[in-house]
Amino acid sequence: MSSAGSKKILIITAIVLIAAIVGGTAYYLNVTANANRRLIIATTTSTVDTGLLNYLKPYFDNKFNANMTWLSLGTGQAIEVAARGDADVLLVHDRVREDAFVASGNGTMRATIMYNDYIIIGPPNDPAGAAGANATLSMQKIRDAGLTANSTFVSRGDGSGTNALEKRLWTKAGITGYANASWYYSTGSGMAATIRVANEKAGYTITDRATFYSLNSTMALSLVIITEYDGALLNPYGILQLNSTRYTNIQSDLGTSFLLFICSNEGQALIANYTINGRQLFFPMFGNPESIGLPSENSTVTVINNMLKARGIQ
Amino acid sequence: MGGFEIITDGLMKALQIIISGDPEILAITALSLRVSLTATILGALVGIPLGFLIARSDFFGKSIITTLINTFMGLPPVAVGLVVYLFLSFSGPLGFLRLLYTPEAMIIAQMILTFPIVCGITISSVMSLNPKLKETLTSLGASPFWEARVLLNESRLGLITGIIAAFGGAISEVGAIMMVGGNLLGYTRALTTAIMLYTNMGEFATAIALGIILLLISFAVNLFLTILQSRSKVKRTI
Repeated sequence: MSSAGSKKILIITAIVLIAAIVGGTAYYLNVTANANRRLIIATTTSTVDTGLLNYLKPYFDNKFNANMTWLSLGTGQAIEVAARGDADVLLVHDRVREDAFVASGNGTMRATIMYNDYIIIGPPNDPAGAAGANATLSMQKIRDAGLTANSTFVSRGDGSGTNALEKRLWTKAGITGYANASWYYSTGSGMAATIRVANEKAGYTITDRATFYSLNSTMALSLVIITEYDGALLNPYGILQLNSTRYTNIQSDLGTSFLLFICSNEGQALIANYTINGRQLFFPMFGNPESIGLPSENSTVTVINNMLKARGIQ
Repeated sequence: MGGFEIITDGLMKALQIIISGDPEILAITALSLRVSLTATILGALVGIPLGFLIARSDFFGKSIITTLINTFMGLPPVAVGLVVYLFLSFSGPLGFLRLLYTPEAMIIAQMILTFPIVCGITISSVMSLNPKLKETLTSLGASPFWEARVLLNESRLGLITGIIAAFGGAISEVGAIMMVGGNLLGYTRALTTAIMLYTNMGEFATAIALGIILLLISFAVNLFLTILQSRSKVKRTI
């Protein structure tokens, strides 16, 4: 084809088509934006994979005439996505980064709402002899057995809250250079995926108790609990309100509603009642972080309690 | 549970879901189809004319452009997803469009994947046409539109192959739509992202069932396109 005229027509047609599609979609979204009560929670894989959010959804949706949805990410990615203004509320478990999120002005409020605990799991014959109630000691023994090729450790390696805790434990045990060791595998995946790798390799890993139980209920794992009930293994979850002045696009009111709902007596009771195979997975503790040895959050708790009263939620 | 049991369980479950018409799975399937078909059609609407123009004209850098398009046929979906995410993010340059975590964002990401496939295959099929055809058209004094119509018609086999390949890539892709769609329940959850979610939750049978549904859909669409392709063999415009 040589004529410049028809080329032009083709190009113009393409441009008009693209413009029509983009423009039409944007218009459609603007029109429907207000009618849309969709809440997007940026959260960690553990609250999704255990089914907790699926369980809470109908209660929240009914009470607030909302449509609760969530992004299932590692804590690192969840915080990053929220920091870019791409979610309405943040529910994660990495206290250091949560505090940094509020300190940088991305978040306006943070409260500890519940905890579960981490466990070290491994093969039933425990080749490293790591069983016990001292996580630091277990980590040392897993490393020692790893050096003689008798054990392997499987890490999330994805910058998640669990990954951060694992790193803190290695540091506490005085172990460095583990990341390149031959006994150390880094999956770069979510919790359930990492447990499955550990299961295949008969290795040790750290998981939150909830994900372990829920995965064990859907697929029979050969791994057993090696170490539990160490204070260093407690896993508190925080809820964070995002800065609506900074993120003008977010459904900030719905995000706050979710924060209030999960802190309310009703929300806390729902969390306590969520079980898999008769086992409670998450332990509500809003207003009482001291109960697991965390610093008091009295000022935030007062603010939230006042908001709960003011909005007639309780 | 052994591997085979999970697969047979998955087959049974797929059958169950198809027969019972589980509304959630139906919605997920409909979304997958809507997103991938739209992305394929849009990719073809841009890719075929552009591919035709590139194939039929001579210009400086033509081979580089062709090589680039052929390279983009193998774009990694997750990288495309990340780039589209960064553009559509509230903090990104197109954040004002408020398109992130919508089916439309998924269509845009998949269109970036389908366009080079259709375009690249269009270029090669138009260029492999018998040059005498063009000479004949010129000597008959055919108008550019008439010429384009005849040449595109002659390369129909190739064009449909391009569309089939693009659709196959789109419907089976997970990285890009996970990133820009967010796998939101009842809104942007597609077959492939749901398969990942159910796998993570350890519900392997449901994941396998969704995989089987995906294959069936892919089969149905390809059957339609292949029939179209084989019919086009007997039609002649010249």
